[in-house]
Amino acid sequence: MIITLALVILALFALLFLIRLAKGRIFPSTSSDFRAEVQPVDIQAFRNLIDSGEEEFLRRNLPPAEFRAVQRQRLRAAADYIRCAARNAGILVRVGEAARRSADPSVAKAGEKLVDTAIRLRLYAFQALVKLYLAILLPGARISAAGLAEDYERMTRVVFLLSRLQHPSRQESAAS
Amino acid sequence: MSWQSILSDSLIVASHLLLGGVIVVFCRNRVYIQFPLFFAYTIAEVLQFAVLFPMLLMKSVTGWEYTFAYWVGISLSAVLRFGVIHEIFSHVFHNYGVINQYGRPAFRWLTVGLVSLTLLLAVYTGANGLDRLASIIYLLDRAASITQCGLLVALFFLASYLHLSLRSHTFGIALGLGVLASVELVAAAIRSQLGYAGSTAINFLLTATYLICVLIWLYYLWAPERSPQFAVKAVPEHDLEDWNKELQRLIQQ
Repeated sequence: MIITLALVILALFALLFLIRLAKGRIFPSTSSDFRAEVQPVDIQAFRNLIDSGEEEFLRRNLPPAEFRAVQRQRLRAAADYIRCAARNAGILVRVGEAARRSADPSVAKAGEKLVDTAIRLRLYAFQALVKLYLAILLPGARISAAGLAEDYERMTRVVFLLSRLQHPSRQESAAS
Repeated sequence: MSWQSILSDSLIVASHLLLGGVIVVFCRNRVYIQFPLFFAYTIAEVLQFAVLFPMLLMKSVTGWEYTFAYWVGISLSAVLRFGVIHEIFSHVFHNYGVINQYGRPAFRWLTVGLVSLTLLLAVYTGANGLDRLASIIYLLDRAASITQCGLLVALFFLASYLHLSLRSHTFGIALGLGVLASVELVAAAIRSQLGYAGSTAINFLLTATYLICVLIWLYYLWAPERSPQFAVKAVPEHDLEDWNKELQRLIQQ
C-alpha cells in the first residue's frame, strides 16, 4: 500500500512538473534585454573563497568551533557565487541558441561555442554545488579529493612506522 | 449499453481519429524523416484500434481471444514507446555536443537504474485480486510506466536545468508521452492494489488522458517551429571559460 501511494504521488508530481514546463513554454518569460539580466560576478573573490591555502591558514589559526563557523560562511558565499554564475550561463545558453540561428556563419559558430561553454558551466556548477553543500554540512572535514589523498598518505606513513616499530626484524630481512 | 461505456467508446474513437490526423500532418510536413519510430508508433496505435475495436463488438470473438490480442497490442506499444523515447534523447543529444559526451552514458545508467528499481518493486509488491497471468502483465505494465515516466521526467529536468530549447516537435512528442506515462503509472499502481475493482473509472481516466495526449501531439506537430525570442547580431563578451576552469579545479580539489 505504501509503495502504491508513493508511486501515485511521484507520478502526480511528474505530471505537475510537465504541466508547469508546458505552461512556461507557451508563456515564456525571458526578455530580449539579456544584458540587463546578466549579473557581474567577481571571479577573483570566488577564487579566494575556495582557496585551499586560505582554508588551511584559517584551520591553523582559529579555534575549531570558530573555524567551522567561518568556513561555513565562506562556503555559503562561494555557493552564492556559483549559483549566480550558473544563472548567467543559463541566460547565455538562450543568447547562444539565438546566435546559432543567425544567418551570419561566424555569429552562428560563436553561438555554438557559447552554448557549449555555458552548458558545460551549468554541469560543473551542479557538481560543484553538491560538493559545497556537503562541505557546508561537514565544515571541519576535508572532503576534497586532494584532502583525501593527503589523509591517505599520512595514514599509510603512520601504518608503515607502526609496522617498523612492531617488527624491526622483518624490515632488516627485507633489506638484506 | 450504459452512458459510461458510450462516453468511453466515443473517447476511444475520437482519439484514434485524431491520431489519424497526426499521421496526416506527419506525412504533409515530412516529420516522419526525423521521427520514424514515433511515426511507426502512431500507425501501430491506429492499426491496433482498427483490429481491437471491431473485435470488442463481434459476438463470435471470445474473451480470451480479445485479451490475447489486447496484450499483444499493448506490448508492441510499450516497445515502440521505448524506441520513441530513445529517438527523443538522440535528437536532444545530437543538437548539443557537450550533452552528447556526458548524456549517452548517463541515459544508459538511468535506464539500468530504473529497470532495477522496477524489478525490486516487482519482487516486493504483487498485484492483488488478479489471476497469475494478469498480475504478471500488470507488473510489466507498471514497470514500463515507471521506466518511461522516469526517463521523460529526467529529460525534461535536464532540459529545464540546462536551459535547452527543445524544438517544438521534440518537445510536443516528449510532453504527450510524459503525460501519458505518468497517468498510466498512477493507473498501474492503483490497479496493482485494487485489482479489477474500479477498472471502469481507471479505463475512463486512461482514455481521456490518451485523447489529451493526441491533442498535444497534433498541436505541436501542426504549429510552426518557434522562432528565437530575440535576434543576436554578435555574441556578447563573457568570462564563462574562466569560470569553467575554476569550477573544474574546485570539483577536482
